[in-house]
Amino acid sequence: MPIVVVSCVPFGGGERMARLLAEKLDYSFLGREDVVARANECGIPVGKLEVAMVRKPSVQERMATLKDRYLSVATATICEKAARGSLVYYGRAGHLLLPGVSHVVRVRVIPEAEQRVEDAMTRTKLPREKAERFLHEIDADVRSWVRFVHNVDMDDPRKYDFMVNLEKVSIENAATALCGIAELPDFRPTPASLRIMDDRLLQSQARIRLALDERTATASLTVHSSDRVVTITYMPRQARVAPEIPKILEDLPGCRAVRCTMANTNILWVQEEFRPDSDALLHVTEQARRWGAAVELLRYRPERALANAVLGEEAARPASRPRADTGGIEDDVVEVTSPADQGFHAVLETLSRDGRLGGGQTVTGTKEALAAAISRQVPYSLVVVGETFVKKPAAARTRLTRELSNFLGEEMGLPVIGVSDLRAKLRFGPTQVVHLAAAATVVGLIYYLLFTHQEQLLSVLGGSLHQRHPWMSPVLVAVVAPLVAAAYGVVASSLLKLIKLE
Amino acid sequence: MPDALSEVFVAISAPTAIAVVVLGFVGGVLSGFIGSGGAFFMTPGMMNLGVPGVAAVASNITHKFGKALVGARRHSQMGNVDKRLAMYLLATALLGIRLAVWINSLLFAGGSGHGSGKSAGADLYISAVFIGVLTFVGISMFRDALQPSLGTRGPSRRVTDLAGRIRLKPLVRFPISDVELSLWVVLPVGLATGYLAGTIGVGGFVGVPAMIYIFGVPTAVAAGTELYLAIYMGAFGALNYAWAGLVDLRLTCLLFLGSLVGVYIGAYGVRVVSERYIRLSTAAIIMGCVASRMVAVPVYLRHLGWLRMDPGWDAPLNGVSTAMLFLSGIGGATFILYNVGRAYLAHRQIQTTLLVTRPSGAPEEERVHG
Repeated sequence: MPIVVVSCVPFGGGERMARLLAEKLDYSFLGREDVVARANECGIPVGKLEVAMVRKPSVQERMATLKDRYLSVATATICEKAARGSLVYYGRAGHLLLPGVSHVVRVRVIPEAEQRVEDAMTRTKLPREKAERFLHEIDADVRSWVRFVHNVDMDDPRKYDFMVNLEKVSIENAATALCGIAELPDFRPTPASLRIMDDRLLQSQARIRLALDERTATASLTVHSSDRVVTITYMPRQARVAPEIPKILEDLPGCRAVRCTMANTNILWVQEEFRPDSDALLHVTEQARRWGAAVELLRYRPERALANAVLGEEAARPASRPRADTGGIEDDVVEVTSPADQGFHAVLETLSRDGRLGGGQTVTGTKEALAAAISRQVPYSLVVVGETFVKKPAAARTRLTRELSNFLGEEMGLPVIGVSDLRAKLRFGPTQVVHLAAAATVVGLIYYLLFTHQEQLLSVLGGSLHQRHPWMSPVLVAVVAPLVAAAYGVVASSLLKLIKLE
Repeated sequence: MPDALSEVFVAISAPTAIAVVVLGFVGGVLSGFIGSGGAFFMTPGMMNLGVPGVAAVASNITHKFGKALVGARRHSQMGNVDKRLAMYLLATALLGIRLAVWINSLLFAGGSGHGSGKSAGADLYISAVFIGVLTFVGISMFRDALQPSLGTRGPSRRVTDLAGRIRLKPLVRFPISDVELSLWVVLPVGLATGYLAGTIGVGGFVGVPAMIYIFGVPTAVAAGTELYLAIYMGAFGALNYAWAGLVDLRLTCLLFLGSLVGVYIGAYGVRVVSERYIRLSTAAIIMGCVASRMVAVPVYLRHLGWLRMDPGWDAPLNGVSTAMLFLSGIGGATFILYNVGRAYLAHRQIQTTLLVTRPSGAPEEERVHG
């Protein structure tokens, strides 16, 4: 049965409604306090984390590991509870905890303003004016917290399935209405959504286990799980902890395999079809090798979204939608039958053999579903977009791929590059040789002129010519300094590229 | 070289040219590694080679202008530049640079005698500011690096909280950095950054920590914004010094030769050295540079007639100062290069995936490739 996640600001009536809903549906109830209690048991000082987090971004980036652990505890707590039956969860940003899981009903409760102030006055014993200011501050803090933890705006309506406005409807009636919604076939678990839940649980449990073990507690690790295969990436300077990781995760329930990859950073490679014999694989692997990066594969199948867009079905979605349209991530390897599946797994295997694998998953649906499936906790340095929309004509394919690249760039705040551009960037062909030669000539000429005409130069810079025409010196400086920096910059970077030190 | 010219511009022999390129390379490596300038090494290094302080600062700020132009483009592509914040800082930073150029030119013009004798006042002033600022920065970094909870504790919030309480209007919102600040907090930081950039060429040592600790800006955005700011500050400083006839373009170009290669290698070093060692080594290098400058101070004091000392001591003191500076800079750069080289070779040689397959609970196959 589904998981109903209710999100609301404090004192907004969301918790009351969530408890009532759980009672009516006869589901278990889980509150944010339960998650916080478990996090504290795991040594995560959530209170301190919140205080440190809510205002200053400079502190936030240092707390990334703690944040990652907190998210893992929250995800594991919900998944474990949901595994024992249906569940209503109440929290400020619970709707963001299980991305890609289609049997989650994400509900946002908009509080009744006056009632909220009165509740705050009663519970905090503050006069009205102070209570209003307190609520204003707490709202700002919650927004900052959600932005820090999930990197999204908590008021973004696209992140919810339903919004309940308590200004217009009572808590009792809202809970009754949601009972019907929770029973809709759209939110019934599917084998794919249950597998994603399993992976989310496995990933969280692996993260918690590594955080609690003293051998890996201080290591900065990235954990990813797909098809019950847990992939861990670690920094080169933490190489000594690598042999400990499989031992720590040895008896992790449900885990099929553990892969540990040493990486400075991660490259996300988005493509519709992967082939082990493609040039693209060579180029991406080469880039990963230069950067010491792990490569995460994201197989994106946009055909369903396109079909919906063409038929105008986005606005009028049918009551019962097929499994593949549930906006989420599918299984990776359960049915390895088609050549596309075989290609995908062959590429995964190749990357694993090369020591570059950072995980892999498949996403079907809209580009928003694609963005939702990308973890914000992984330190990606680059997103490579390969061939997508392969069934479209060439012109449409180019346009749609460009739009997808722009979308991912804006959504992720990361540089996005096409495979063909990556090839051009890596290649040291005739064009690069010409660039290098031209830049080297400019640099050589300038240095030759500077050092063979020192007397004239110094006269312009500060001597007799400078006395008569003081403007000449700034002009010379303004022209020569940037020109040398730019031209010599090309020479230096090209030479370093040649020896593969970038 | 005409006598008037020799007061500002030194004769550049082949060994001097090589030494300046080495200074640029070490400065570039340190700059790429630390992320905030390498002028603290290059400026005194050039002074030790006999370049008057004011010409060393002027040539270095011109070098910084060109380098920032190249680096800021890259940061901008990564979305790490808060142009709005940079423009607000720039408003007073330009004043700060103008102030610095005016003081430096005044001290230089007011000097008596020729060569090092004439520049002694400006050299002493530059050295004093250098020692004061970098001692503070070096000690802070040491303390930070020796904290046991480095990595999870984050920067101190005391100053940030204090600045956050200043709500004097007008308040300005900076969306990229996600902070709202009183204009009266932003402007003095710009002034201090500009003044130090103009005086000793290390504005980044004030600008970056100020943005992180006082404004609460993320580190990557602080570094990118400072570099963007450095384009304008560098351009303004370089043109002002050039107008005053103090920029030695030959030194600037020799610095480029080393620094633009070094900066790539230093940036690579950040990825392969732990944060604690980055801070410890940076602090050690900075304190080495400070000690080197301190050794040179008696020479300037003697030139100004404020200290009675046998002129025969000038050469040994200058030699010791130069040796200390090169030792700390080259020592730091060697440490970075050693780690870069080791990681570079390791990345080329090792395969790093451990594959553990466990179909039935217990490990069945364990393989370490390579």
